[in-house]
Amino acid sequence: MATVVELPRLTDTMEEGVIAQWRVAVGEKVKRGQVIAEIETDKATMEFESFDAGYVLKLVAEEGETLALGAPIAVLGKEGEDPEAALAAFKPSEAEGAASSDGGAEDEAVEAPEEPEPAPAPEASEPAPGGDRIPASPLARKMAREAGIALADIQGSGPHGRVIKADVERAITEGARAPSKPAEVAAPAGVTISSETDEHGRPYVSKQDRRVALSQMRKTIVKRMGQSKREAPHIYLTMPIRMDRVVAMRAELNAALKAEGVKVSFNDFILKAVARALRVHPRVNATYTPDGIVEYGDVHVGVAVALDDGLIVPVLRHAEQKSIKAIALEVRDLATRAKERKLKPAEMTGSTFTVTNLGMFGVEEFMAVINPGEGGILAVGAIVDECVPENGQVTIQQRMRVTLCSDHRAFDGADNAQFLATLRALLEQPMALFA
Amino acid sequence: MANIQIREAIRDAMREEMRRDERVFLMGEEVGHYNGAYKASEGLLEEFGERRVVDTPIVETGFAGVGIGAAMCGLRPIIEFMTFNFSAVAFDQILNNASKIRHMTNGQFSVPIVFRGPNAAAHMLGSTHSQAFEAFYAHIPGLKVIAVATAYDAKGLLKSAIRDDNPVIFLESELMYSKRGEVPEEEYLIEIGKADIKRPGADVTVVTWGQGVPVALDAAALAEKEGIDAEVIDLRTLRPLDDAAVIESVKKTNRCALVYHGWPYGGVGAEVATRVQDLAFDWLDAPVARACYEDVPFAYAENLENLSLPSPERALAAIKKVCYRT
Repeated sequence: MATVVELPRLTDTMEEGVIAQWRVAVGEKVKRGQVIAEIETDKATMEFESFDAGYVLKLVAEEGETLALGAPIAVLGKEGEDPEAALAAFKPSEAEGAASSDGGAEDEAVEAPEEPEPAPAPEASEPAPGGDRIPASPLARKMAREAGIALADIQGSGPHGRVIKADVERAITEGARAPSKPAEVAAPAGVTISSETDEHGRPYVSKQDRRVALSQMRKTIVKRMGQSKREAPHIYLTMPIRMDRVVAMRAELNAALKAEGVKVSFNDFILKAVARALRVHPRVNATYTPDGIVEYGDVHVGVAVALDDGLIVPVLRHAEQKSIKAIALEVRDLATRAKERKLKPAEMTGSTFTVTNLGMFGVEEFMAVINPGEGGILAVGAIVDECVPENGQVTIQQRMRVTLCSDHRAFDGADNAQFLATLRALLEQPMALFA
Repeated sequence: MANIQIREAIRDAMREEMRRDERVFLMGEEVGHYNGAYKASEGLLEEFGERRVVDTPIVETGFAGVGIGAAMCGLRPIIEFMTFNFSAVAFDQILNNASKIRHMTNGQFSVPIVFRGPNAAAHMLGSTHSQAFEAFYAHIPGLKVIAVATAYDAKGLLKSAIRDDNPVIFLESELMYSKRGEVPEEEYLIEIGKADIKRPGADVTVVTWGQGVPVALDAAALAEKEGIDAEVIDLRTLRPLDDAAVIESVKKTNRCALVYHGWPYGGVGAEVATRVQDLAFDWLDAPVARACYEDVPFAYAENLENLSLPSPERALAAIKKVCYRT
């Protein structure tokens, strides 16, 4: 009997996926462990290695198609076998895709401690073939009926994909699940003549709206940033930090490392200082959960990296124990691979605090949104020359403004202020970073 | 308020009712000269004499029948079974006489009798002495069945049982006779058929009774550590069942777990579960779960016995299951 290949769970938070590219064609022979497709998940585009061997009888899923976990994507079997029989008999397996992510249980706990989700049910989003009954608890049925939401539009998280109270509540707050395929409006190359005219009666030129389908990454950003702003009461504290010495020291360090081809950025200094300050103030390296505040034992700093479509936060693990040079090399590598969408899930999970820097764009000061699962994010602005009165004299100093955005449920303004004071001391006397 | 043991609460209830009404008398094995196998009748022979505190031979079917006859003739007997395991010998008297006389005589006779004694598994008593009998008796129309877990409930409900004009099965616990609790100095009665919220909570309704009550409360404390706020309802009376209290709670929490001493098949837990699905179907977010005895005869060996009992950890697992927490 031929084997139906299902869409696997490739990251912890993946709920659906897109076949970015098939690496095999119908009729081709596939070995176990051979990469058969590239799959776009909520985090990265990942290679999918086949669990089975055989001839490709049929590619069920098309490239670019959004599919639920467990959905049939291909059929493997003996040469000349009929794939339709296997598809007709196909039932999504109970077990989720065997390819679990590299991030272990620890990473999972770190990533979403605020939302202990019931075991995911891979078949949840699609009713079993032939049966149109949607499993739902009686209460969930009643709540959905009263809220005017169709059960079919709610993703069930209970056993066998059962829709439970929590799912309906989520659907009510978020609005029912968006249609799975927002149609991409074909943007015509040309422009049209507007009916509106200027004071001389000349018509304006009008361009049509362009609607861009939500990528998996965009959907994740929508979900997590929305969740953070809804649930975490953010507070913001801004601190100016004098950077003259870091500027001088960076120049000195880069000169010394020139032979090795290593270049250290201001952000590398900041990452190192943040990690050290987190070690000094463990209350800030923490997150709120309903069961208590979790103070993380390790300092894993997330580094926000902007991409063409969205952003991603690779993780600099045990950052406080790494030298500035090591940080520079690692961040460069992570950022490069992030832009190529080549990061592994383990490299994008488990951060305990995040640093985001828009200084290179000339932004002097801004506020950021906390990554769920963390208690704070540091928004770093540009280093600018400022006139600062000192001892009755006007001096010109190179200063940078950082804004600590934190979850008030986890800790308070004074904790934040003390953390910022330590951070400032470390950056204003940066020799301490080498101690 | 006096702080007394459950055995003292039971004795005080009997003593007060015997002082109040001379038709009330106590009969059973070792209730007189030995002061009761578990000392629940201490001092009663001394106060009321051998006419009203009657030591019997080891013939449960005989003294149960004598008690029923006495009740038909206008007395108000309290029959003590040394344990309810021995009531099996008297089962025919209870099933076919006590529960049916009033019905079969169209009310010409009533049977105001209380059968009381310890029930359910204690500790390493072996297969035939570790049984929970509420399922058998609650099954029978014509009986009332009470199971108590505190000194306050024991005293107030036993007094009501003695004053009731119908046969009442009153279930105590060998393991809990020494458990202390506050009891008012002044006289009080507790209405039969009323459950009691032993611990208020918002997330899940835990229904329990008798020896299950401390297990459920311990499980609720464990659940609290995991962020689950459990409401523990002690049924106290198993027949008639206080539907209203259970249903009101389930409508609030949307979840129900049962924690009790007793086998799973066809018992009081099954009755509670069916009423919950019948009366609160649209409020349920999960199927009702149970933590009770394993469906086996009990082993004597301590390690095997422990595996058959509803522990707080097993009760917690049932609570988490209905909360979709794993």
